[in-house]
Amino acid sequence: MADRSDVVGTVAGPGDDPNEFVFVTPSDKSIKTGEFITYTVPVEGEPRSVFARVTKRELIRGLPEGFLADPEVGPETVAATLGVPTDDTELYRLTATVIGYYDTNMTTFANPRQLPDPGTPLSIAPHQQLETVLPNLGCETDSTDVTTLDGVAHIGWLLNRPAEATNLHIPIEKFASTHLAILASTGSGKSYTASVLIEEMMRPSSRASLLVFDPHGEYDTLAEMQGEEAFQGADGYEPNIEYYDPERLRVRISELEIGDVMAILDNPSNRMQERLSTAWRAMQRQESRTWGIDELIAEMERIYGDDDASVGALEWRLRRSIERNDLFHPEDNVPLGEIVDPGQCTVLQMDTLDRWDQQLITTVLLRRMYRERLDDVRDRDSDIEHPIFALFEEGHRFAPASGDAPSLGIMRTITSEGRKFGFGLGIISQRPSKIDEDVLSQCGTQISMQIQNPTDQDAIKNSVEAAGEDVLRELPGLTPGQAVVSGDAMNTPALIQVRRRHTEHGAGSRPVIEEWREAYEERQREPTGSEAADFGEGDSTGVQSLD
Amino acid sequence: MHRSTTRQQYGDEAMTDTSTNVDSPDLDSCVRIGSIVSSNSHLDYVAEVYKERDCDRPPELHEREFGQPVFIKKTVDGTEHAVMGVIYDTQLVDPDQGRTGPRLAQDNQAQFTPGYIEERTTLAGVALLGTAEIAEDRGIQEPTHQMPRWTLEVEDTVFQCPDQVTVSFHTVDDQIQLAYMDRLLDIAGDLGSEVIVALIDRLRGMLPEDDPNQRVLDVVEQNVQWQAREQRGMV
Repeated sequence: MADRSDVVGTVAGPGDDPNEFVFVTPSDKSIKTGEFITYTVPVEGEPRSVFARVTKRELIRGLPEGFLADPEVGPETVAATLGVPTDDTELYRLTATVIGYYDTNMTTFANPRQLPDPGTPLSIAPHQQLETVLPNLGCETDSTDVTTLDGVAHIGWLLNRPAEATNLHIPIEKFASTHLAILASTGSGKSYTASVLIEEMMRPSSRASLLVFDPHGEYDTLAEMQGEEAFQGADGYEPNIEYYDPERLRVRISELEIGDVMAILDNPSNRMQERLSTAWRAMQRQESRTWGIDELIAEMERIYGDDDASVGALEWRLRRSIERNDLFHPEDNVPLGEIVDPGQCTVLQMDTLDRWDQQLITTVLLRRMYRERLDDVRDRDSDIEHPIFALFEEGHRFAPASGDAPSLGIMRTITSEGRKFGFGLGIISQRPSKIDEDVLSQCGTQISMQIQNPTDQDAIKNSVEAAGEDVLRELPGLTPGQAVVSGDAMNTPALIQVRRRHTEHGAGSRPVIEEWREAYEERQREPTGSEAADFGEGDSTGVQSLD
Repeated sequence: MHRSTTRQQYGDEAMTDTSTNVDSPDLDSCVRIGSIVSSNSHLDYVAEVYKERDCDRPPELHEREFGQPVFIKKTVDGTEHAVMGVIYDTQLVDPDQGRTGPRLAQDNQAQFTPGYIEERTTLAGVALLGTAEIAEDRGIQEPTHQMPRWTLEVEDTVFQCPDQVTVSFHTVDDQIQLAYMDRLLDIAGDLGSEVIVALIDRLRGMLPEDDPNQRVLDVVEQNVQWQAREQRGMV
């Protein structure tokens, strides 16, 4: 008789769906829903381990519910009174869905199209095997030591297994090229997960070129990577974490497009629009890239005469919207060479900018970087000669479903075309329903965390191809730090516990009670009659909408 | 007639031992309820209840009521055992019944019907529950609710089981047990739940109010009654 010590259950027969089967386990073999189990079938004469995921668990034999009538009397006492045996009486029927066997040629799962025969012994899938076959790593055997591979991100471990037992390493290349979406409600660990990924991408084995658009200033602890041993390479590599504070964020006026300017201006009339676009095109054709509002108005006056009423009105509007805004400058801009470099993670801190400015600077930067990448791939002179990956915190702000953001167009372009030019995006958001559907559906890898809101769940269902029903069912029940990883980076979706960060987490909620109390004491100390000071200590997170 | 002679025999024995104390756990001084006359299965016997003529102290009505625990003494391999049972059904037998044709006598004239009156009798169904050894102090020890392996004999005396003995038969490791319940429900059929409720009532009355077993018995009783109501289509 074969060794059955690691057998946890026995197949009873086929289930309702074509890929489902039912098996039975006694109570002491506790198998959780979502657990991966395996059995062996011959495929073309060779025995193959077929993996299956447990989807349902129900009790088929156990003490009757009538025994539970009195909460103070345990059911086992009632059972003992009636002489009903209580040891190992429970039997569970579990339903499992076949994922397939790992096809080493295709390096993904292949469905054997054949359910296990009744009586087939089932065992828990071994850790190393799962580590190899769950993520889309392209391994040539079904059991490899994945920690030795380059370019993988250790994101966490399987939720159903003990901590750090089955570690999940997802291929960075996959999610960095076909885009990533991290979707979760507030407080369930979006930016934590993103930070874990950033840490992984900044390791010596990856040395990514990363850009983080941070509207809330949540990523200010990443600098701790510098000096940490885990991030230092044998060749002296160390990640370079650059913070770009709002004061350094500048948009050169000539880099704006006419559509951007129209969007900034206050309700321009048709005549004004016509005047402005003519002048703008004329300025764009000039050699000089460093012109300002004065030059633009001079050009308009040259074309339309200096007593044109519309030009006068435009001048007032342009000076108010552009010239008085520190973001715009005739000459200064953000030098791309400063913000993108291999082994460098640049955090663009936009927390004091208002929403429009955030969107504008993002638009301009993305457009410039996309152009450079295009040039690089087409063998033209380029400032960015390596692939880049940009992460957007509050992604719905930059690619809103409502469409009222100048950045939406370029985001759509990058998500659909960026793959060819080595430009990857990562969208982080707590409102998937507010993200533009085209952008969300192009994010090939998804990390979904706890989401209760039905509209947001629907948004995931509609735009995320890889999200199966069983993944969606899990979403409301996840707790902070737990996630479903699906899409291009995975061969099959998996439930994981996100690993601990090496750096401190900086985006937690504020200690409200403590701050209130401090503020109150502060106030008590002040002489009465004087006006209370600002409690905020100047670290306001900027203008934010209530979404 | 076969039945009469056996009755006579036991009646004689009963006469030597008349001082019966119901509350005493002494198994030798228990009230005799009747004697086995037949069986329907290994666990299901029929006893004929003693009457005035059969013994000195026939059981009173409440001593042979529905749900009354009983025992039958058996010596097996040199050890005296008590085979425990319960009255789960009764039946009246009247050979005269059905002979009510036209009468010659007037209403105020006495009828001449020799013999038959005494043949009227009560049969009690006894379901076996388990066994216990009879201890030296004439109480019981090592009760078990396993199915009794031994058969009773025709003419075996069925004794009324004192309530203390009933409790000790039902107490295994300080916990009340009714492990025979499924078998009893099977034998007793339609009245199964009622006989169990009667047994539980009896046990409850014997246990102190605050005994933890009280609540366990509540749950068991609820269950049995609910199942019975379900089967009878009430709920």
